Amino acid sequence: MSKIGWKENRGVYTFLRPEERTKNKTRWKENVVAYTFLGPALLLLSMFLVIPSIMSVYYSFTDYYLLTPDMRKFVGLDNFINLFQDPIFLKSLVNTLEFVVWVIPLQIGAALGLALLLNKQRKANTFFKVAYFSPVVMSLVVISVLWLYLLNPNEGIINNVLTYFGISAQPFLTSPKQAIFTIVVVSAWQGAGFQMLIFLAGLQNIPGDVYEAAQLDGINKWQRFMYITLPLLKPTSIFIFITTLIGAFKLLVQPMVMTQGGPVNSTMTVVYYIYQTGFTDRMVGYASSIALLFGTIIGLVTITQRKLVKEDED
Amino acid sequence: MKKWLLVSISLLLMFAAVGCSKSESVNSDGKKTITMWVHISDENEEGKVYKKRVEAFNKKYAPDNIKAKIEFIPRSGNGGGYEDKVNAALTTSTLPDVITLDGPNTAAYAKSGVIAPLDEYVKDQEDLLPSIKQQGTYKDKLYAIGVSESSVGIYYNKRMLQEAGVDLNTLPTVDNPWTWDQFLALCKTLKDKYDKPAIDMQLQSKDEMLTYALTPFVWSADGDIISKDGKKAEGVFNKKPTVEALTFIQTMLKEGYTTRTPVKQAFETEKYPMKISGVWTVTDMKTNYQKVDYGVIPYPVSPKTKKLVSPSGSWQFAMTQTSENKEWAAKLVDWMTNKDSNVELSRTIAALPVRYSSEKVMAKEFSDQMNVFLKQLKETGHARPVTPAYPQVTRAFQQTIDDISFYDQNKDIQKVLDTHAKEMQSAIDKAN
Repeated sequence: MSKIGWKENRGVYTFLRPEERTKNKTRWKENVVAYTFLGPALLLLSMFLVIPSIMSVYYSFTDYYLLTPDMRKFVGLDNFINLFQDPIFLKSLVNTLEFVVWVIPLQIGAALGLALLLNKQRKANTFFKVAYFSPVVMSLVVISVLWLYLLNPNEGIINNVLTYFGISAQPFLTSPKQAIFTIVVVSAWQGAGFQMLIFLAGLQNIPGDVYEAAQLDGINKWQRFMYITLPLLKPTSIFIFITTLIGAFKLLVQPMVMTQGGPVNSTMTVVYYIYQTGFTDRMVGYASSIALLFGTIIGLVTITQRKLVKEDED
Repeated sequence: MKKWLLVSISLLLMFAAVGCSKSESVNSDGKKTITMWVHISDENEEGKVYKKRVEAFNKKYAPDNIKAKIEFIPRSGNGGGYEDKVNAALTTSTLPDVITLDGPNTAAYAKSGVIAPLDEYVKDQEDLLPSIKQQGTYKDKLYAIGVSESSVGIYYNKRMLQEAGVDLNTLPTVDNPWTWDQFLALCKTLKDKYDKPAIDMQLQSKDEMLTYALTPFVWSADGDIISKDGKKAEGVFNKKPTVEALTFIQTMLKEGYTTRTPVKQAFETEKYPMKISGVWTVTDMKTNYQKVDYGVIPYPVSPKTKKLVSPSGSWQFAMTQTSENKEWAAKLVDWMTNKDSNVELSRTIAALPVRYSSEKVMAKEFSDQMNVFLKQLKETGHARPVTPAYPQVTRAFQQTIDDISFYDQNKDIQKVLDTHAKEMQSAIDKAN
């Protein structure tokens, strides 16, 4: 009984005023409730994200072979040394960067263009929104198979149209030079609808009086876009840029379904190579080291990007 | 509140306990259970045969208190699904007594101690076809027995060949195969007549089919992919015979006799007169393209050696190292691949038998086309390379074909071979 009103703090009891006591009690209660709600999510997150990530960091320093999980040993930096001498890995890295460099302007540009059009257009607005957004909700595998048919060198509709207009049929996915660009276009087409919706929301958040004020100053349409719309869309653009970038780095399904990384490894991406070394070749340790290195690269790019944007703001 | 907590905790513990315990090998009724995983669906014709054969096994060995249990875990395209489950079971040591595995996986599974040798239990190995033994053997021990056999040949459209002026009676047979030059001449006749590729060589498939269908050309020239002991690719693959074989394939492409981008189902819809394909196309023709009158001829051979070689190999049964009833597990493997199982499967789907005894029965029942495959297999079947690094080796081979098919960019076949032999070698060195 003598301890009532005392709060234990590292073995030292300090006196608390009664109102503080109840405050602490409710806070504790609130915490319990909060953690109970958080619990399941935290549990799943740690089971499927945190723990596997830590494990794969560990595996990247071992020679883990898929069929002999118990016999793995620590091999230090061996995997990473091999990685830099692996021509297919280096090729996949170049391919992925090439894809990112091309798809980002194309996809974001298309999304912004569509958003601007839809923002003005009032007629059948919902129809167009659904039309442009529908590829986003479709499975990537379905999209890829669909384009495989469209791009087929013999019977594909695209080549038939081309030859009708007197342009020679293109090899698209079967040429080492064109394949990655074909995948860029397909990916941009598939993904742009999502960014379009976010741009649209961003556009609708720009207050109308800014435009009115500008109109009084007599600016033309181009100035209006350059000096009002674009700057005010900046927060939206930054978000879109970062998410699209990370998404682009993770390219996997399109080359897996459409080209199997070929021809001549021209569409082999890093994530696809991770899958191949890990699950086909069974070199889990090696695959983990690629994942770790690639994760670090994406992290660095994102951080640099954030820094640049911040400096820009200052 | 407390009661509720107690109940839920005890429930949780119960599930945990159930989850951890390995499936017991002895049932409550005193019966020993042998579990088996297979890679196909129980709705599939092949799956139905397995099910029937397991039931027969149980009936026969009921007095011994043995019960086999079959679990169907369908695989997807590249073996995913089923193989994922096997891999997961490996990390938790919950493999069943018997598993199925694809032919080229034998070495990796045997080397890793996933599967156990059968020699001690399966005595009658003389009856097995050589290609089946070759496929299931690693370091002189038999680890797995094929479910069925398979082969590849050249399908031709009888009408289209006749209309091009080819006398069907002069076509090659297994005893008297054609050389590559003779085959090129046939292709020229057909190309001149139809102004289309003469044959679909499945060069567009970027998967195992490429290895399966095209390695025989290398073997026919007396070359190899890797050395017999499985240790060397450099100095084996990048040798003259491989160059000769690939030059033949490149010539086929250059002359327009075949193509990297064939029209879909071109042979089946009578657009191209020929196609390289496996026995499974017989079933496809029977069910979907009955109107096409077709025949099958064996592989053309190297003009230097005149040696006919054909591909072989399929999925197989094997028992796991962790099985607690090895004797019975091996008996089940033997049973699933014995004469009766074999004949039943061959009758149901277009699969070739794995034993001499069943082959004798089927030779009388098979169509002419199937018999070409059977004879070719029995006399010339060659298993794919046996190495734990098979996934990398086969991919390097597929990439070699991919590379040389761009003949204007890769005129120097030797250089392409050197690159990919090096890839194979480094994978082999890592795996051994």
